[in-house]
Amino acid sequence: MTDAAREERAWSVVRAARAIAKDEALRARVAESTGLSREGVDLVFDRCLELDPRVEEVRALAAGAAPAEAVLVLLSSTVPTAALRALALARAASARVLVRPSRREPHFAAALARALAEPGVALAPDLDVAGFAAGEVHVYGRAETIARVRALARPGVLVRAHGPGMGVAVVETAGDVALAADALAADVVPFDQRGCLSPRVAFVCGDAARARTFAEALFDALLRAHARVPRGALAPEEREGARRWAQAAAFAGEIREGAGGAVSISEEVLVPPPGRHVHVAFVETAALPAALARLAPHVTIVGTASGAPAPGAPVHARAARLGEMQTPPLDGPVDRRVA
Amino acid sequence: MSDAESDALHARARAFVSGFERGAPMSEPFDALAADLARFQARRIPGYARLCAARGVDPARVARAADAPCVPTDVFKLARVAAFPEGGARATFLTSGTTLGARGRHELRTTDTYDAGAVAFGRWALSGDLPAAPVVLSLVARDPASSLGHMVEAFRRELGGGDGGCAWDGDVLDLAWLDEQVARAGARGRPVLLCATSFALVMLLDALDGAPFPMPAQSRVMQTGGFKGKTREVEPRELRARAARALEIPERRVVCEYGMTELSSQFYEAVAREPGAPHGLYVEPPWARVVPVDPETLEPVRDGEEGLARVEDLLNVDSAFAVLAQDRVSRAGPAGFFLHGRSAGAPPRGCSIAIEEMTS
Repeated sequence: MTDAAREERAWSVVRAARAIAKDEALRARVAESTGLSREGVDLVFDRCLELDPRVEEVRALAAGAAPAEAVLVLLSSTVPTAALRALALARAASARVLVRPSRREPHFAAALARALAEPGVALAPDLDVAGFAAGEVHVYGRAETIARVRALARPGVLVRAHGPGMGVAVVETAGDVALAADALAADVVPFDQRGCLSPRVAFVCGDAARARTFAEALFDALLRAHARVPRGALAPEEREGARRWAQAAAFAGEIREGAGGAVSISEEVLVPPPGRHVHVAFVETAALPAALARLAPHVTIVGTASGAPAPGAPVHARAARLGEMQTPPLDGPVDRRVA
Repeated sequence: MSDAESDALHARARAFVSGFERGAPMSEPFDALAADLARFQARRIPGYARLCAARGVDPARVARAADAPCVPTDVFKLARVAAFPEGGARATFLTSGTTLGARGRHELRTTDTYDAGAVAFGRWALSGDLPAAPVVLSLVARDPASSLGHMVEAFRRELGGGDGGCAWDGDVLDLAWLDEQVARAGARGRPVLLCATSFALVMLLDALDGAPFPMPAQSRVMQTGGFKGKTREVEPRELRARAARALEIPERRVVCEYGMTELSSQFYEAVAREPGAPHGLYVEPPWARVVPVDPETLEPVRDGEEGLARVEDLLNVDSAFAVLAQDRVSRAGPAGFFLHGRSAGAPPRGCSIAIEEMTS
């Protein structure tokens, strides 16, 4: 298989996504299955779907995909549009791809696979991992799911895991806090913060007063964002987690809660659950690397105003501008941690 | 360290305990001491004052236990929950480790109140009906930071007259030592009180591998804890049956205890004391209550409905009177409460990492 062939197969996935991106009925089904608001679905389709990657990005994606006899892709529900990148990676690795969509949100992946309409790509909603004879399994989802897949996979089948994670924002001393807050809100809103790139903690370099200014600006930005893109329904267990976190945050520092989400602030790091909840921690610049190190195993991306890597950012984490944390280039897996 | 205000509150809390031991009515209404504790803690613990303010509660107006906002157990991992200066703790109990930093800490300025309550209610649930003091044998790992270890040592001292000990030799369960202790107890006509975590009990039963390990007459087991973080779990009924069979004691003498590092009080099944009491129903001492609350509103739910455990503990004088645990419970009216396992909070979905994954 030549590199050009692998690139072309990856591009075919992009073209298929372009063909279904404007499908209103599909968008409606995704809204229903994910609980995202219709506006939230429109946002992720219009902003996060990688429809216009650069040539060099797709080239890098294809070059990084080790050839495989066949690939079974197991998708999760929380980031429906992640199926594009997942299938592009799978297709770059192999001409034979089986796709098992999430039971909770099967629509986007199914539509994408059908739009691909290629003989080597098949939907396999009921395929058991243990029944997959040879090749690779690309599994997206939580740690328990990954562990289960690893246990079930046959000997010789390679499991590539794309596990849970989160994003972290850094507001450096020279940064404009109001602009940073607006940009971070734009990163929090997609997928209602359920994705592995979704930022949940913001480190503000400076003192408590600066962090409070940023937190208030972020709260207001989330409220404005909610007016444009309403937060979708949170599941009962998500609301329970949010309540618990809010209670703890009120003890540890301060919290503002509203329709658009909640922002807490304290010197300690208190990671909130998804649902448009952000914790703001103030830190001296010199202490930032240590603060990031404590979260490192869980961090997939670090956002800064310039997009340059933050001091002490985990080496595996992507670097992005605030406001662009949910739109990394289509140059490989979003998550660069070894799994 | 001395603290007159705290000492006075401790004395009032201990009055509940001593009254219970004498079979006397409560020294004062539960709500009265609860309200004073909430006000004291709001004055001394800035975080609790913040929580009250955030919830729109004026501590000066707290009149009932239910008025006091509850502190999630998570907070003990994030902040100091203590009404006295740093360095003033007589004992510090730690929760299990987290990947985000320090373990949860529960600092006690004095252990007198903790010990009084633990011994009094432990005696009632586990050994008060015995004709002779039990020999207290522990399968709880030696750890000065363990509240459970501290409690079992208090049992050994106060319930066992100082007799007994711990069966752990480093990381190894010393079966030979245990066997010798059991034999000695039997020879002296004394029952055994075997205190074990569920996990250690499974280890013992696995080591016995089906062989009997008969306990002296009237012996009993205090079993506590689940299997969080362990690779193997055994269903509670099965574990109880296996333990009773191996130790040759009635199942009603395998008594489950419910407690946690963040509390000073404990709860027990009443099975060893009350013939009609079912397994699974936990009773409360007069100084502590378990209130199932709606996980979102934190308001009490109806009897029989499941909710998160809001524990109101009068013995938590210098920390948090009202604690929000992570366990799901339901009430059977005044008789007690049932445990329904740990709440997942927001269970992990797909790609976003859950708090539990970062803190387990």
